[in-house]
Amino acid sequence: MAQCTVDYDGRLQAHLPSAVRLVMVKADGCVAIHADGGAYKPLNWMNAPNRLTMDDEAGVWTVTSPKGEVLTITFEEVLSDVAHEMGIDPGLQKDGVEAHLQQLLADDPTSIQDGLKLVRREYPTDIGPVDLLCRDAEGLAVAVEVKRRGEIDGVEQLTRYLEFLNRDPLLRPVRGVFVAQEIKPQAKVLAADRDIYWVEVDYDELRGIESPNLKLF
Amino acid sequence: MSMKFRCERDTLVEALSAAGRAVTTRGGALPVLAGVRMELVGDRLTVTGSDLDLTITVEVEVAGGEDGVAVLPSKLISDVARSLRPGAVDIAIEDEDARIVSTPSEFSIRVIPVDEFPELSSADGDAVTLDASAFRAAIDQVEKAASSDDARPILTGVLMAAEEDGLRLVSTDSYRLSVRDLAGTTILGEGQKVLVPSRALKELSRVVGDADEITLRLGERDAGFQVGPVKVTTRLIEGEFPNYRGLIPSNHPNALTVDRETLLDAVRRVRLLAQESTPVRLAMSSEGLELVAVTQDVGQAHEAVEASYNGDDLTVAFNPEYLIDGIEVAPGDEIILETVDELKPALLKSSDDPDFLYLLMPVRVS
Repeated sequence: MAQCTVDYDGRLQAHLPSAVRLVMVKADGCVAIHADGGAYKPLNWMNAPNRLTMDDEAGVWTVTSPKGEVLTITFEEVLSDVAHEMGIDPGLQKDGVEAHLQQLLADDPTSIQDGLKLVRREYPTDIGPVDLLCRDAEGLAVAVEVKRRGEIDGVEQLTRYLEFLNRDPLLRPVRGVFVAQEIKPQAKVLAADRDIYWVEVDYDELRGIESPNLKLF
Repeated sequence: MSMKFRCERDTLVEALSAAGRAVTTRGGALPVLAGVRMELVGDRLTVTGSDLDLTITVEVEVAGGEDGVAVLPSKLISDVARSLRPGAVDIAIEDEDARIVSTPSEFSIRVIPVDEFPELSSADGDAVTLDASAFRAAIDQVEKAASSDDARPILTGVLMAAEEDGLRLVSTDSYRLSVRDLAGTTILGEGQKVLVPSRALKELSRVVGDADEITLRLGERDAGFQVGPVKVTTRLIEGEFPNYRGLIPSNHPNALTVDRETLLDAVRRVRLLAQESTPVRLAMSSEGLELVAVTQDVGQAHEAVEASYNGDDLTVAFNPEYLIDGIEVAPGDEIILETVDELKPALLKSSDDPDFLYLLMPVRVS
């Protein structure tokens, strides 16, 4: 926390006049200057990779990007200077519904498609675990990505998993199934275009809660 | 590989559009299926599109120059043809390129290797003919109730079954059931039934236009429908269709009789306030019918509809889309909605046409 001024010189020139600000330097090298407002968004920032030069005597930090952008922070008074080793981040936890949906589908993969059998939950790939790996009635591998709301980025994610899984000679051919409570029309089109099968599932029905939408059979 | 012909732009556009409707939109295992196959024999040009489940073939008369076969990217050739000025179009395939010339425009499009185009199955049974307009009307009355959920393939089909006095079409997505009888239409053997993908029937309905006749050939695994120059061939769905007969309650104590258009308009209006999957409620009493839709934090709609009602006062809620689908396709000016209670299936039928019925499950409301 410091009283400081900030000057940016790159695609344009910008100046932050003297005020108390939070200056964050993350382990990956990115630098962000925050005011006491504006939610998550910094007033100014430089994404990694950067080169940070700290001239403590002059009270000036210079952040230089490979593109030649320069962020100059001139400290007038340092109010608090702390450093913490934060360790490896465990990543964003899926919300309760999504995790529960995955659990329910793992318990009964036939609710996704007849004949599916679970091989493993959170099956590892080089780019992260795919939610469910199953085998279909013919014994072929099926990668299942579960979302609460099915959008295009979920289809993209499953496409990447499939690319990695299909490199494994013991698994391939692996086909993909995209499962969500509700799938956006664009995501359905993209999935179909990539030969990814999509299924909308009823969370209440999976939990054994009777749906208000009564069925004939 | 070579082929040459000349034809009118509109002839080409129509043929490519019709065949292109069966072309797969997916890259998939067979990229050649993103193309249309064009075969010229004399002055007959045959254009075929297929995704292996559905195949649409169109035959048109052209001025043939040199017989041959080629596969062209469906969307691109369609877009090109549509963009041309009206008039004659010359198409010449030479080696790997198709030249499309319609003065002052000229296009050169890379063709897809013809030998990659798969051998397509065809229905080889005996030909029987159907009254095109009656069959099309029947398709339109049942195809909406078929499911679009590929996870339940059997429900994506329309059952065509031989009945004592004709042909019956049945479809259901488990929330509603449509039944249409075509008395006097005998295209199946006694007791025979087949399950035809609703998508194929929808395409058939589209191409029927004002044709008089449809010729049907039923093979063991395929059905082929010929309408004039267009042939729609589809794989049949294998499996047992649900036993729908037992789903239709035999005794409905309550009956609402109402003008079809009046009810349709009213439900369409009230539906505007049935958002976020909320149902439309039908409150039926000796006073008539009141439609109500309430969406929390949005608002509500009420409408009184003139109707005659025999039975106990009853309020039943329905999915508005499903209700509208049924009212839209019911024949005649007046419909009857028969109900048992607020949880049992309701039966929607026409006052003057006993050959159609639409069974609809209510939505449970608190």
